[in-house]
Amino acid sequence: MIATIVHTDELLQTIAASVIAGIGVTFLFSVGIWGAGQFTELSRSERPVAATAAAIVGAVALLCVAGSVITGIVVMTHK
Amino acid sequence: MSSEIILIIVIATALAFDFTNGFHDTANVVATSISTGAARPSVAIGFAALLNFVGAFISISVAATVAKDVVNAEVITPTIVFAGLIGAIAWNLITWYFGLPSSSSHALIGGVVGSAVAAVGFDAVIAEGVIGKVLIPAVVAPVLAFLVAGFAIGLSYRVVGKQRPGIVSRGYRYGQIVSGGLLALAHGTNDAQKTMGIITLALIANGNLGAEADPPFWVIASAATAIALGTYSGGWRIIKTTGTRIIKMDAAQGFSAQGAGAAVILSSTHFGFPLSTTHVINGGVMGAGAAKRLSAVRWGVAGNIFVAWLLTLPAAAAIGALTYGFTAIFGSGALGPILVTLMALSLVTVAFSRRARGGAPVEATGT
Repeated sequence: MIATIVHTDELLQTIAASVIAGIGVTFLFSVGIWGAGQFTELSRSERPVAATAAAIVGAVALLCVAGSVITGIVVMTHK
Repeated sequence: MSSEIILIIVIATALAFDFTNGFHDTANVVATSISTGAARPSVAIGFAALLNFVGAFISISVAATVAKDVVNAEVITPTIVFAGLIGAIAWNLITWYFGLPSSSSHALIGGVVGSAVAAVGFDAVIAEGVIGKVLIPAVVAPVLAFLVAGFAIGLSYRVVGKQRPGIVSRGYRYGQIVSGGLLALAHGTNDAQKTMGIITLALIANGNLGAEADPPFWVIASAATAIALGTYSGGWRIIKTTGTRIIKMDAAQGFSAQGAGAAVILSSTHFGFPLSTTHVINGGVMGAGAAKRLSAVRWGVAGNIFVAWLLTLPAAAAIGALTYGFTAIFGSGALGPILVTLMALSLVTVAFSRRARGGAPVEATGT
């Protein structure tokens, strides 16, 4: 009875989606900024391999952010 | 004929409510981006208005909740919906006048529940829907936004803590273009749908739509237009006071707060929970602030929000019930709603002129 009124499943899915999207996207975006920062620093200290690796990590993280945002909007529009 | 007149009054009142909703909420949606310098006010406001409009088209789950899960549409009349809207607008006006940060969404649902109880009795209210889809999410969502924003900013500082401040600040400011846009989209989709739901409820009550019908396209388009125009108009009004009203935060905090708010509102909208978007956005801002320094949060404002939250549903319900009682004196025709509309317009004019003479800043009530 209580579970029916509370819509437990939908509420838990809302909480899970909010936590994953809110914290996950912010974390990935921060990794993107970290990658850009590291790329700049390592390029200045003439370490091209490490700089490229940092840039790739950052770029992948930013791509994941873009993918997450697009996925979120697509999910929203399909119900 | 009189039922058609009442229906037209209800639709006009609902769209006016939607406009004021956008007008009041511009500050909540764009303040963080303006505060951190991520966007110029004119750009942030135009962008928010556009995404409010787009957001209104991406879901109808919340509209379905408002139209079908709050009150029993089979016993509702357009006059009941009208009285509920007046209850919500009157409570918004009172809280705006006294600077209380209340929720327009809760006022709307409270007003409709109050007028339905006055007209039909408690059988008209779908208790499961009100508790499960309105009250519990109303408590959970702002706390969730607070926690998500707090954890997100903590994690961000750990990841970028040793980077040069310049690149970090620039990076998050660019990010805020996306997070601010998502927040405006989320605001448009959750808030415009409440108006769609109310108009759909009135159309069902008047026999223009079947009991299980979804909002027609013209309802979606008109609600989207009203909230977008309100956001755009409200934006220009708040520019003068923005500097004193927003919490100073860095770009990373702004990104986390907006991201948390957008995530909570969009995921709740997916399941049809009609939230107070203002409470969620404020929860995110407070979470991002508290994670850095507890004293950064304006706990007095948080207390006011809590008090207003407690008062909004019963107060709007009481006004909705009184309004229905007043219209019933004049029978079931259009005379009652017409008189109430004229009285409401007079009160709005008096309140605005008194506020304008007092020179006090416009305080945003929430949704």
